[in-house]
Amino acid sequence: MSRLAPDRWAAVAMFAVAALTPLVVRDAFLLDSVILILLWGALSAAWNVAGGYAGQVSLGHAAFFGIGAYAAALMSARYAQSPWLGLAVGVALSVVAGALIGYLSNRLKGPYFALSTIAFAEVLKIVASRWRGFTSGSEGVPVPYRPGFWTLGLGHVAWLYLILVVAVGCYALQVYLERSRVGYQLAGVREDEDAAEALGIATRRRKVQAIVVSAAMTSACGSLWAQYVGFVDPSHVFSIDLSVRFALNSIIGGIGTALGPFLGSLLITSLETYLRATFSGVEASFTGIYLIIYGVVLILIVRFAPDGLTGIAGRFWAWRARAHA
Amino acid sequence: MLTLEAVTKRFGGLTAVRAVSLEVRAGDLLGIIGPNGAGKTTLFNVIAGYYRPEEGRVRFEGRDVTGLPPHAIARLGLTRTFQIVKPFGNLSVADNVMIGALTRLPRVAHARAEAERVIDLCGLGPHRYARARALPIALRKRLEVARALATRPRLLLLDEVMAGLNPTELVGIVDLVRRVHAEGVTLIVIEHVMAAMMRLAQRIVMLHHGEKIAEGTPQEIAHDRRVIDAYLGDEFNLAEA
Repeated sequence: MSRLAPDRWAAVAMFAVAALTPLVVRDAFLLDSVILILLWGALSAAWNVAGGYAGQVSLGHAAFFGIGAYAAALMSARYAQSPWLGLAVGVALSVVAGALIGYLSNRLKGPYFALSTIAFAEVLKIVASRWRGFTSGSEGVPVPYRPGFWTLGLGHVAWLYLILVVAVGCYALQVYLERSRVGYQLAGVREDEDAAEALGIATRRRKVQAIVVSAAMTSACGSLWAQYVGFVDPSHVFSIDLSVRFALNSIIGGIGTALGPFLGSLLITSLETYLRATFSGVEASFTGIYLIIYGVVLILIVRFAPDGLTGIAGRFWAWRARAHA
Repeated sequence: MLTLEAVTKRFGGLTAVRAVSLEVRAGDLLGIIGPNGAGKTTLFNVIAGYYRPEEGRVRFEGRDVTGLPPHAIARLGLTRTFQIVKPFGNLSVADNVMIGALTRLPRVAHARAEAERVIDLCGLGPHRYARARALPIALRKRLEVARALATRPRLLLLDEVMAGLNPTELVGIVDLVRRVHAEGVTLIVIEHVMAAMMRLAQRIVMLHHGEKIAEGTPQEIAHDRRVIDAYLGDEFNLAEA
């Protein structure tokens, strides 16, 4: 196909709008929203590498996120070193943890694999909450703000461009997975492992590779998140809520597609931000209403468009092509 | 080319394959017949590396492949199709076959071109953009063959590629098997369709309760008393087949 497909155009447009935002607005709330949309999108893209392309649906990716967040936060708070160093350490640890989870994926399938990943993240949550001498336990770790790129003490605009680069990188990796030998082989593994083996694909190794790459990306984004938000506590960074969020953004947007995680993040993150801002201040009793609306949207998507927003768009495109033919 | 030395595969107390020895030469077209549960598919699973046999060795082109994982055996040039077809359902026919071709041709463009050739050879040309799961069974059986063929095997195990097809489809697939054989691929074929088997195979092996009870030309097999008792029945008539 020589011309760019509609979903690629949509991604280009989305990243372009994000890049142009700081030139038009300086409103911190809006910039924050864009940063979070990109960051949650990048995290869901990282999840998508294992859960979407390789078909290894994990509900414990918060484990890698938390490892990255703690590595960066502790490196700057406890050792006064650059959080970039912490990011590197976090990635290294997550690669090891990802290999372990990858090994599990060769023993356990489907829901059993998903359950074991939940358990893995829960164990790390307990360790981080109890190991008070090192992690400060459930009090959490405040990340010191030291201005500069090396210390990741950045303003909103700088953060936006940094996260945009990360998001485009995650998107590009997914596009690579749609066009490369590795990507096609992963699709084979996802669709049918026995058949993939018969075609000479080392399915176990490919699965572990996908999970390790996914873990490393998640960890790196976790490190950046910790520096951006400025506070890390175990009950949040290792929570199943986060794991589910990575998965749901992808599922709502379109699992196993490059654009899906970012579309899902755009919808869910902006919906959540909007609902929170609208209802929380007004009446205390409405504080949790965004969760209800969030849930309803989810049910509607899963019921009427199990292939996600990109699936709806794809059907619309096909319908329009027929109508014009 | 392929040598089985007294291969035995057990599942708990059940011996699915018992001390089966077999010799397949390059260029052979060997048929394997036997009643349901005779151990035919289990034997394929042992040869292709899906099951590790409790006893015996499997040698492929002089090399001991016993216990190697299926993908390693496939890369050596020995692969199989599945009786219960296993298409990559959400992918197109072209992508299915290309994933097979990527095993020998790491570059996507080359694999794509090779897949096109194999798709045409297997008569799947008009369906190349169809989703694999949308194909009717006859075409899914062809897709199994095409995908395996794209890995350029020297020995291909075909597990009931004719089962469940109507007479017209049957003629087509028999023709395809002949063409694959003519391309120089050695074949071992499991089939229940005796009529086709009698015409296709150069040599037939009969399995019963996991044991090899007869081996010979189609004529010899059709007149073998043990084969008639265990499988064909007295009514079987070679002339009709």
